[in-house]
Amino acid sequence: MATSGRTARPRVAVAKFASCDGCQLTLLDLEDELLEIVSRFDIVEFPEATSRRSPGPYDIVFVEGSVSAPEHIDQIKELRKQARILITIGACATAGGIQALRNWADHDAYRAAVYAHPEWIESLAKATPIAEHVKVDGELRGCPIDPGQLTELLTAVLVGRRPQIRDEAVCRECKRKGIVCLVVARGEACMGPVTTSGCNALCPSYDRGCYGCFGPRANANAKSWSTGLLRSGRPPEEVRRLFAGFTGYAEPFRSVITELGETKG
Amino acid sequence: MITTPAPSHAAAARQWFLARADLDALIAGLRDSGRRVIGPTIREDAIVYDEIQSAADLPAGWHDEQSAGRYRLERRTDEQVFGYTVGPTSWKRFTFPPNLPIASAHRTGSFGFEQPTPDAPPVAFVGVRACEIAALEIQDRVFLGGQFTDEDFRARRASAFIVAVQCTTSSGTCFCTSMGTGPEVHGGYDILMTEIDGGFVVHAGSPEGAAIVAKLPTRRPSHAEAGAAVDRVESVRTQMGEPLPMAGIDERLKLQLDHPRWAVVADRCVECGNCTMACPTCFCTSVVEKSDMEGKRSTTDRQWDSCFDVAFAKVAGGDFRSRPRDRYRQWLTHKFSTWFDQFGSSGCVGCGRCITWCPVAIDVREELGVIAPPIAPVIRPVAVEPVAASPGSYSIARVAAVRPETEDTSTLTLTDVDPAFLAGRPGQFVMIALPAFPAVPISISRFRANGIDLTIRAVGPTSTALTNLHPGAKVGLRGPLGTFWPVEEAYGRHAVVVAGGVGLSPLHGLVDALVANHDRFESVSLFYGSRTPEDQLFRDDLDTWSASKAIDVAITVDRAGPEWKGRVGVVTGLFDMISWDCTKVTAFVVGPERMMQASVQGLISKGVPADRICVSMERHMECGIGLCGHCQMAGRFVCKDGPVFRLNELGDLFNREGI
Ligand SMILES: Cc1cc2nc3c(=O)[nH]c(=O)nc-3n(C[C@H](O)[C@H](O)[C@H](O)COP(=O)(O)OP(=O)(O)OC[C@H]3O[C@@H](n4cnc5c(N)ncnc54)[C@H](O)[C@@H]3O)c2cc1C
Ligand code: SF4
Ligand code: SF4
Ligand code: SF4
Ligand code: SF4
Ligand code: SF4
Ligand code: FES
Repeated sequence: MATSGRTARPRVAVAKFASCDGCQLTLLDLEDELLEIVSRFDIVEFPEATSRRSPGPYDIVFVEGSVSAPEHIDQIKELRKQARILITIGACATAGGIQALRNWADHDAYRAAVYAHPEWIESLAKATPIAEHVKVDGELRGCPIDPGQLTELLTAVLVGRRPQIRDEAVCRECKRKGIVCLVVARGEACMGPVTTSGCNALCPSYDRGCYGCFGPRANANAKSWSTGLLRSGRPPEEVRRLFAGFTGYAEPFRSVITELGETKG
Repeated sequence: MITTPAPSHAAAARQWFLARADLDALIAGLRDSGRRVIGPTIREDAIVYDEIQSAADLPAGWHDEQSAGRYRLERRTDEQVFGYTVGPTSWKRFTFPPNLPIASAHRTGSFGFEQPTPDAPPVAFVGVRACEIAALEIQDRVFLGGQFTDEDFRARRASAFIVAVQCTTSSGTCFCTSMGTGPEVHGGYDILMTEIDGGFVVHAGSPEGAAIVAKLPTRRPSHAEAGAAVDRVESVRTQMGEPLPMAGIDERLKLQLDHPRWAVVADRCVECGNCTMACPTCFCTSVVEKSDMEGKRSTTDRQWDSCFDVAFAKVAGGDFRSRPRDRYRQWLTHKFSTWFDQFGSSGCVGCGRCITWCPVAIDVREELGVIAPPIAPVIRPVAVEPVAASPGSYSIARVAAVRPETEDTSTLTLTDVDPAFLAGRPGQFVMIALPAFPAVPISISRFRANGIDLTIRAVGPTSTALTNLHPGAKVGLRGPLGTFWPVEEAYGRHAVVVAGGVGLSPLHGLVDALVANHDRFESVSLFYGSRTPEDQLFRDDLDTWSASKAIDVAITVDRAGPEWKGRVGVVTGLFDMISWDCTKVTAFVVGPERMMQASVQGLISKGVPADRICVSMERHMECGIGLCGHCQMAGRFVCKDGPVFRLNELGDLFNREGI
């Protein structure tokens, strides 16, 4: 490995697949920490910030976006070979993102509806998370990712400890913040119980239900939660939509969506 | 369950009346004394506890409708200020904050850890309810009662001035009366207020409280006002209805660790942890470590955690509670059972928060009722609808096997029986008929997967004809009939079965049930006496039971030849083997009438309560369903009110001759 150890700055690359760039921008938005990050890491590949291109290997590769086009598959495999640590960032890379919704749709019809010249677009029938193609060492969830979690991850890599990124329900953050539960006190829909924390219950703090952008937590009981939402009188189509957000392709949300019916393209 | 000390100051008994219009004087008085005032206020469609500036911030005229998974604010018809119950916040938020820096460390030049000194400026909690005081006292025991203490909690608790409020209403999720924590406040406050029309009856519970009250524009309450204050609280108790049967809940739960319901409730539970966050006594935390990028300065924060977290009980290489049912069981058994072992009380005060704030509406009261059902106070009526319930109609069954038990007694195994018989309960009987023979009552001696056993002694025509049947023969059945052994009533107790002669037959099914569920009982034992060894029924089963750890078996005979190595003597002679606390015995007795009377006498003199002795009575029966009048025993029909009775139901009928 070319660079590691205390003196040399770790080489960091940020790679982009099918995504909106929002997660990379989070890195640029880390105003307070940005200078320190730049001084401690050698950021060599970063489409959003620099046009400089340099070949691998890299110490850390952050991957944004889902695998959605045929050429992506080889690209991600090559990138994996160049990366000591590969971290996926954001809902697209970790769960397939909003593009993954087409995984339930008639692909051609979807493409025709979205693009003016569908015949020009070479796209895979599915948009899939990076982890379906290569081994992933860590992930940052969210759409976009949380700046605090990003700094924590970078810090942990530098210090050599386990990043303090927990997998608990958004409800837990919500309760610690003293927010009154929107589901119980107002009958609103919220994906907090099945969604992993990390955003510090951002949406409930702004008086709206979580839409699950951080994705399902491990062993989330999505089945019971969808049953609960249905029992509260919501039509299946609405419940399906709640699960079919940015992280709908991630299990166990995926199963709930499939169970509640196919999308109409 | 939780005992709170009575107010210790004589002055506490003195009551004052504070008009509602003057309530602000109290808030101002508390603020003037240098305290930050935390009280109920409306935010985000709920009554939460937060800093308040004046009485105008209080939720006058509002109350909360609560049920499992649902909370709604509603307008009251009056202007009561404290006319709601408890909301999403609990006071632990202020005595045990959700996020707390507990340490910092550095290795810049020097190396060290610093602990922040507790910073707990004076604060006043306004509107603390009885269950909430109980919860604070539970956390006192958790954080301050042991060898290691939480000094931050100590400081915050000590700096909190408590204005308690008596509940004048309850919500659908309150169950403080079941947990013995409310609705009356008994202590643990500086000032106590009871809201009545137009104002509050107030009294002080500490010198600090008295100092605040002394500055308020009060007068002495009228006799009627003081009476109204008492009535208001009393009415809440009535409103809440019968308390749940919580006696022995800790032990009852311990017997149910393998109950199938754990998996059922875990299927519903989304493991969000809202219950533990909302619970005023839950105390679990984790630490969160933060550092600068060099790792030279770090801080450690303590954060509320929950045993519902998938990582909560994980260790490298494994997870002690890997299944959702393990985690749900941890929560429920900790609150209602193991907390007693750790801290000497229940971990639940009955505030209902975990029920209201569970997004999938799981109700701990319901779960407890299913998992650790209360000891049934009465023998329940017939569990299944009997088939062929009119005297002339029979359902047909086939004899599958005939097994001789003794010289005059045989066991018939019947198959092709109506499913109703399979759903019968030990202690119940059938009316069995053969064409041309009158039907006779026979107890079900055993329930099999696809049939029942009847053990019949040939004493007359029908019984002789029945014992002479061969496999393949058909019989007519009505039933199952009558009351059954209240097995559940003995959960957590010593189950003692006393049988004499053929009396073991109606007890056989009971013994099977006791053995199958032996871990639900403190102990299970069988005392069996017969005239001679040859008169014993079910000898194979007696051997199996004797070898089993699930039941202790003691056998005696009235007389025997020299080859008999066992005890000789009447069955009551075996009672000197009883070493356990007889107040915790539930006994089931059947045998010849004289033997039953002697056994019951023996049990009573050992201290077994009369309502814990169950007997099965025999009377002449023709119809078995309360129509023919043959079986009457004073006011009771043995066929439908019995045959199983608790002794106290029979009173002196039991020993009386000629009834
Ligand atoms: C609830 C209950 C459960 C019983 N369980 C068993 C059992 O498991 N095994 C067993 O061997 N015996 C049992 N008996 C007793 C059994 O019912 C009698 O031995 C049987 O009725 C005798 O009938 P028989 O025609 O053979 O004799 P008989 O003496 O000629 O009886 C004639 C009629 O009198 C009535 N009768 C006579 N004795 C009794 C009696 N002791 N109890 C009720 N009615 C009677 C019956 O209607 C019978 O048809 C039970 C009795 C009751 C009340
Ligand atoms: S508002 Fe949503 S995240 Fe917050 S406690 Fe309720 S269900 Fe959980
Ligand atoms: S509350 Fe839910 S939707 Fe909102 S940011 Fe957090 S995880 Fe995403
Ligand atoms: S019991 Fe209810 S509140 Fe508690 S973890 Fe389960 S779903 Fe959440
Ligand atoms: S277990 Fe439930 S009812 Fe009992 S104190 Fe905790 S939140 Fe209240
Ligand atoms: S119920 Fe769970 S979270 Fe609450 S105190 Fe017990 S172990 Fe801790
Ligand atoms: S309670 Fe035992 S380690 Fe914390």
